[in-house]
Amino acid sequence: MRPLPAPTAVVADDERLMRDQIVARLKEAWPELLIVGEASNGREAIDIVRSVGPDIVFLDISMPGTDGIEAARALAGQAHVVFVTAHDEYAIRAFEQGAVDYVLKPAEPARLALTCQRLRERLKQAPDPMHDLLAQLSQRLGPDGLKPREYMRWVQASVGATIRMIPTSEILFFRAEDKYTRVQTQRFEALIRKPIKELIDELDPNEFWQIHRSTVVRVDAVDQVSRNLRGNQVVHVKGSDERLEVSRTFNHLFKQM
Amino acid sequence: MNTDRRNPGTDNAAEPDKSGPASRPMGIRQAFREIRKGAVVVWWGFFDWVAVVSWKALLLVALLSLIIGAGIFNLPNFTFLLIVASFIVKVVAGGKRRAELTADEANSRAETEQLERTVLEARMEALQAQIEPHFLFNTLGSIDQLIQTDPPRASKMQQSLIRYLRSAMPQMREGRRPSLGQQVDLCRAFLEIMAVRMDGRLQSVVIVPEGLKSAVFPSMMLQTLVENAIKHGLEPKPEGGLIEIGAEIVDGQLAVHVRDTGIGFMPTGEGGVGLANIRERLKVLYKGRAELIISVPPAGGTCAAIKVPYETAPAPA
Repeated sequence: MRPLPAPTAVVADDERLMRDQIVARLKEAWPELLIVGEASNGREAIDIVRSVGPDIVFLDISMPGTDGIEAARALAGQAHVVFVTAHDEYAIRAFEQGAVDYVLKPAEPARLALTCQRLRERLKQAPDPMHDLLAQLSQRLGPDGLKPREYMRWVQASVGATIRMIPTSEILFFRAEDKYTRVQTQRFEALIRKPIKELIDELDPNEFWQIHRSTVVRVDAVDQVSRNLRGNQVVHVKGSDERLEVSRTFNHLFKQM
Repeated sequence: MNTDRRNPGTDNAAEPDKSGPASRPMGIRQAFREIRKGAVVVWWGFFDWVAVVSWKALLLVALLSLIIGAGIFNLPNFTFLLIVASFIVKVVAGGKRRAELTADEANSRAETEQLERTVLEARMEALQAQIEPHFLFNTLGSIDQLIQTDPPRASKMQQSLIRYLRSAMPQMREGRRPSLGQQVDLCRAFLEIMAVRMDGRLQSVVIVPEGLKSAVFPSMMLQTLVENAIKHGLEPKPEGGLIEIGAEIVDGQLAVHVRDTGIGFMPTGEGGVGLANIRERLKVLYKGRAELIISVPPAGGTCAAIKVPYETAPAPA
């Protein structure tokens, strides 16, 4: 019988010290294990695992850009995944139900030895696709392609010579003006190049309402709605003297309850 | 209102009768004192009531007491005198007394509001002061690794952590008004730790004039800005970058900024919780005289600035 080839592993952690630590302690706990690659973010981990094809990948969960969970999803079934985390009660609970192992940082030698023991057993089988576990984790950790739509929370606008990030919660209304759109807050006004037509798609419809071809108002900033001499609805906004006319198309927004 | 006024009177009238027979010489003097005290209470109660009550209500009560006093008890002169007296009191002293009473009420309302503000601010500060477990465990992990590979560096990092914890733990702050100097020191310790952990990807420079270090600056706000700059600006950037902490006086206001050369602000990004918290706290602490401004420097990255009224903290005793 031929001897089995030495098992191989890739270690991914964004902090070099933590990476060094895992590598050093793995050498003690499992001398035969060959570390064939190291990565400092999820993206690198995916690339290295795909090109080197190790048996095992150790993935830190919180890494910049592509995190450990996303990397694990991309690599599911290609390698046995062990998550590494500094502090994550929920994740730990999830792993305890799941099929994959986890390592808490800083890795205790005794605990790591147990992980290695489990991995030796597991190497006889094909890597688990981990569907349930990843679904469970990503639900909590957020970033995945299925997340509900993200709306604009900050508007990048120019005030005089500077460019400022204005939180949408401070904006009273947007108004189209020639080539620009004016952003009005209680303290100042700013300009953006984006036309109302495009803007309205990026704003949360629960936070902002279009009331006119050229006007979008933040719902919470509306003080009252009156009628002008021509019988059109006019919106009064808290913190501004400007009156905003509502065009007929948007009259239904302020219908009486 | 009417019955309110009468109650203390009847109580006082009944009391001397009860204590009277028990011990006569002492009892009489005590009774007199009690009656006088009662009379004073009744008088001021009556006075306050006359001062605050509307003319319409006063007239109505006068008419009613005229009917009762003159018609039922047959004391027309006394009742009339009482009514005239109350009218005079209202004309002469009513306005002033009423103003006093409203001022008192306004004062106590202001005090309650101030108290509510203090409580609210304390709660929000505590929220902001929470030390992230992730940060703590990762730092301890790094120290653990350095102990084996580079003990002198491990020791240095641990000292930074101790300095950080000393000023970041709310119970360590001893209730003094936080100064800009303390906040900058805290951030320095934090940056030292992160520089080791990020392995050369993080550089930092602090440009705070010595003279501004005694300025009052709210706790943990600068820290939140620095954390944000690392987490959202520099950590996602593979080559890392620079953080600059600066302070200056602009138009009589203390302006403190944290600028980074990171990937820039994401308009849809999360991470707005810390900033929203700062904004709320500034509102509570300075009522519109302070602001948080996020801007995009021409060279890229993000600049977050906090402007507060400039005041210096009294030197520690």
